[in-house]
Amino acid sequence: MNSLHNTLVSRIQAKVIGVTHLTQNAFILRMERNGMEFRAGQYVTIGFPGQVTRREYSIYSGEQDDFLEILALGVPEGSFSRQLQQIKPGASLMVEGPFGYFTLSENDPAKETFVFIATGTGISPFHSFVRTCPGLDYRLLHGIPTINDAYMAQDYDAERYTACTSRDRSGKFYGRVTDYLKQHDPVPQAGYYFCGNSRMIHDAMDILTEKGIDPAQFQAEVYY
Amino acid sequence: MNRKIAFKTLGCRLNKYETEALASEFIRKGYELVPFHQKADAYVINTCTVTNQSDRKSRYEISRAARRNPSSAVIVTGCMANSAKEQLEKQGNITYVVDNEHKHAVFSLLEAHFRGETARPDTFEKDIFGFGVAGQTFHTRSFVKIQDGCDNFCTFCIIPFVRGRAASRPAQEILHNVQQVVGLGFREVVLTGVNIGRYHFEGVRFEQLIEKILELPGDFRLRISSMEPEGFTDHFFGLFSHPKLTPHLHLCLQSGSDPVLLRMRRMYTVAQFMEIIHKIRRLHPGFNFTTDIMVGFPGETDKDFEQTCRVVREAGFSHVHTFKYSVREGTRAARMEDQIPEKVKTARSEIIRAISRENRLAYLRSWIGKEQTVLTEKIRSKTGSGYGEHYIPVEIDLPGIKQNEFYRVVLTELQQRKVPVLTGKSV
Repeated sequence: MNSLHNTLVSRIQAKVIGVTHLTQNAFILRMERNGMEFRAGQYVTIGFPGQVTRREYSIYSGEQDDFLEILALGVPEGSFSRQLQQIKPGASLMVEGPFGYFTLSENDPAKETFVFIATGTGISPFHSFVRTCPGLDYRLLHGIPTINDAYMAQDYDAERYTACTSRDRSGKFYGRVTDYLKQHDPVPQAGYYFCGNSRMIHDAMDILTEKGIDPAQFQAEVYY
Repeated sequence: MNRKIAFKTLGCRLNKYETEALASEFIRKGYELVPFHQKADAYVINTCTVTNQSDRKSRYEISRAARRNPSSAVIVTGCMANSAKEQLEKQGNITYVVDNEHKHAVFSLLEAHFRGETARPDTFEKDIFGFGVAGQTFHTRSFVKIQDGCDNFCTFCIIPFVRGRAASRPAQEILHNVQQVVGLGFREVVLTGVNIGRYHFEGVRFEQLIEKILELPGDFRLRISSMEPEGFTDHFFGLFSHPKLTPHLHLCLQSGSDPVLLRMRRMYTVAQFMEIIHKIRRLHPGFNFTTDIMVGFPGETDKDFEQTCRVVREAGFSHVHTFKYSVREGTRAARMEDQIPEKVKTARSEIIRAISRENRLAYLRSWIGKEQTVLTEKIRSKTGSGYGEHYIPVEIDLPGIKQNEFYRVVLTELQQRKVPVLTGKSV
């Protein structure tokens, strides 16, 4: 018996369906799903056919969508991300996954409260959570330089989404997400999910722990 | 005359197990196993690619084999065969490049080769658990593979890309394998895999698998090898009360600094790690913890490193497998800024090794006057040596002492050699 069939992970060749450029650097890549199963919050690895290099991206789309989306950032020093940014609909990518354990609890998520804390494209898994579970009780803190980087903010309930802008006052809160956490009382029983910059995650965990939140309530997905 | 075969294994325990399983199959089928430096009809190099240095070592061993006997078959398997398959296939000095999924078929492949058939590794079934019993091993312990691959994607590690995704072996196959090796006379079974704590097959999780193995009949003990500090339950901690389960874990810490652990993308904090240590030690005093520490990860500051030193002391690891971070192309850490100079890494690894030595001596001393059950591995004259259930090295002077037997001993003295060892007296 070949035990590779043990898991739901698959490797597919997926055609790019569309590319939505959100800012000069950020873009959403929509691809064929080709039957790939995943849980909101998981990620895939993406590579170009015939090339060894692969990169991990959280899935941006919801579990029910019949396509697969990622939110990516073309960074000046990143040849892979630049190549990805220039891709056109119809081109193929190798997609492997899903991977990871950054998922909502297996209990009924509708009965729980969540605080999602992201920097930049770290908002991806939270987009997938919200899209997958429409009635979710959540607060979303998004650390970005300016409001122009609030990717698809309209996809979230305006009362639940707080853009924390650090370069100007264009967001709902002026300062970093860690400043926001310092200045506000935490939600005691919530599940805290962090995604993005490791420094932010570490500092945010420290602040919340000092405010009495049990680290057992934390889950993190580190991007860099 | 029997054909001669030689193996070279690089890297992890899983590779070692797989080599032992392959070698056992060749021996069972009449091949003569010879040392790698001797002339052989076939050389199997089970490669590692975890660091750039591992790649270099693997390439060196491949050339060595090819030079030794130009008419021999050279088989390259292991993780490098996955990561650099096309490149290796273009080299003129390799007969077959066999990826991890087809590694189990090396015997069949070579048999076909020696029959003069045109053989191709990928014509065999893919099966990462398709190895025979490692019966004729190089050790007295028998490894049993329960899992392969990893989905954690730690930022420094290439393993998920070369060993593939996490996959678990069916529980029934594992139980059968344990019974086979116990039937062959092995008294200690060591579970192995890439990330064994993530074992999950059709509803059976790791701790349930352990329980099932412990329920098997036979005079053997079970050792859990290396584990990631995640997914533990109180029930799991309680299992160590079972007389067959050895009170030792190699629990991979990697760093004692939370910011570094986050950048490594590890799934725990230092506090959570220490909570595991304290919980187990409260239940099982004297429990032996060993660990891996990686020094010089990108961005590791002096403060981060000092925290690691503090944690290594506090946890009282009796052995620290210390290694310097080395850039592995294709991983996220390779693209990180603040790479640490080699000199700093060397100095830090020396410091950790020194703490590890202090810890080891203190731990071994704490056993003087206490008892252990030692499984004898080597006999020299009337002295037997082996390990106690806590993975403590012990020497016993006893006329007529036999290999592969359990001896209950009281530990009387610490001999401070290059590798310190305790003296045991039979009780």
